[in-house]
Amino acid sequence: MSSASDQLIAIVAEQLRLPAERITLESSLIDDLGADSLDVVDLSIAIEEEFSSDEHPIEITEEIAAEMRTVEDILTYLEDQGVV
Amino acid sequence: MAPEHSGALPRVVITGIGPVTPIGTGVAAFGASLREGRSGVAPIRSFDASDLKVRIAAEVSDFAPERYMSAKAAKRMARFSQFAVAASHLALADAGLDRAGLDPDRVGVVVNTGGGGVNTILEEQELAARRGVGRASALFVPTMAPNMAACQVSIELGLRGPVIASVAACASSVTAFIDGAHLIQRGEAELVLAGGAEASISPLGVSALANMHALSRRNDEPARASRPFDKDRDGFVIGEGAAVCVLETLAAARARDARIYAEVLGGGRCADAYHISAPDPEGEGAARAMARALQAAQRPPTAVDYVCAHGTGTVLNDAAETNAIKQVFGEHAYRLAVSSPKSLTGHLMGAAGAVSVTATALALERQFLPPTINLDTPDPDCDLDYVACRSREAAVRVAFANGFGFGGQNAVVALARVDG
Repeated sequence: MSSASDQLIAIVAEQLRLPAERITLESSLIDDLGADSLDVVDLSIAIEEEFSSDEHPIEITEEIAAEMRTVEDILTYLEDQGVV
Repeated sequence: MAPEHSGALPRVVITGIGPVTPIGTGVAAFGASLREGRSGVAPIRSFDASDLKVRIAAEVSDFAPERYMSAKAAKRMARFSQFAVAASHLALADAGLDRAGLDPDRVGVVVNTGGGGVNTILEEQELAARRGVGRASALFVPTMAPNMAACQVSIELGLRGPVIASVAACASSVTAFIDGAHLIQRGEAELVLAGGAEASISPLGVSALANMHALSRRNDEPARASRPFDKDRDGFVIGEGAAVCVLETLAAARARDARIYAEVLGGGRCADAYHISAPDPEGEGAARAMARALQAAQRPPTAVDYVCAHGTGTVLNDAAETNAIKQVFGEHAYRLAVSSPKSLTGHLMGAAGAVSVTATALALERQFLPPTINLDTPDPDCDLDYVACRSREAAVRVAFANGFGFGGQNAVVALARVDG
């Protein structure tokens, strides 16, 4: 697995208070990892904080967050933004 | 046998105790510290207090939330709610009750607080200053709200009866026992978890209380700083923690052969209508609350053996409270015992009353008087028997737990020993 996915899984683990071993790219945030809408908001904020830089800020809007169902969806978004 | 209440209201008893305090978590540790007079006051560990006027507090430094709840649940709770959930689990276990054996719809929760999630507000404000309010945590509101200790007890333990969370500053959790007993007596619940929770030790809070001259500045002698009724007292020591007790009817407790710590005879509440922080200097409001508690308990003043005092260690409170006790009890004031667990635990503010009720329930069950430690030099204005320095064995039949709050809210609950 790439270091970007490890980094992302570590953030998801921290936000959802889960062991990283339980999380894969295929994990559904809600169905597999038990997140609710409040968790998804705070996870989005944590990801923005982690992957944003002054040169390359990212913003996960509510619309974008709504489309993020799996960990891989988040990774794909970050790749599309060119921050990982 | 104790007389029945008029109108045949069901008698309400305490059958379980859950302390999470600076002098111990659980009945065994708390009871031992209370009897041995162990102080929970120390230099502040939760943040760097080196620039503050007051650098001591009574913290629950060994608290491990994961022993009582999942990591995810803990993340969604401010510390005061975590304390409340832990205390509730401990109280139920101490009562010999299992959640599976309860009818959840008939169990109520009354867990009060002083500051609620004020520390969460301060922390989130700091975060917002750094990363912008646009990135406010979605957990902020349901974490900091003061009703959340009671609601998290309900959620975590699956209790679906009435849930009450009210605030009365440092009288908050004496009030919880009065309301909790009423819920049972009025048939709204069969069993109630009643108590209080507080976790509002912060640089801003400590500094503000210090500027009010409410706090002891005895920074170099932490264990000697909380000295209620002593001539050299110079304020209270801020504390944190929770205490929750199981309330049920005497009939239900007897039917399941439960250990009974004490009966809740009744309570008295009133207001000073005087000042935002100072008590009425004569203790007029405190006296009225105690007189009402006697009335509710239907006992004469001479029946009371022990007053678990509000006893904060401020110059004003201890003199006013002493005066109030004399107004209510007359000559008997010199025969009953008075003491302040705050000499050991510091002042848990919104949880202080629940700690006092817990200590009083233990005193009634185990027949001893908790001490007022650090009472080295008597104050002419405080001339009662404060059980100075050491606990002692005594016959304790009826006792009061007092709680008086900033804003002038006064609450007193009367408890009694129940003989098998």
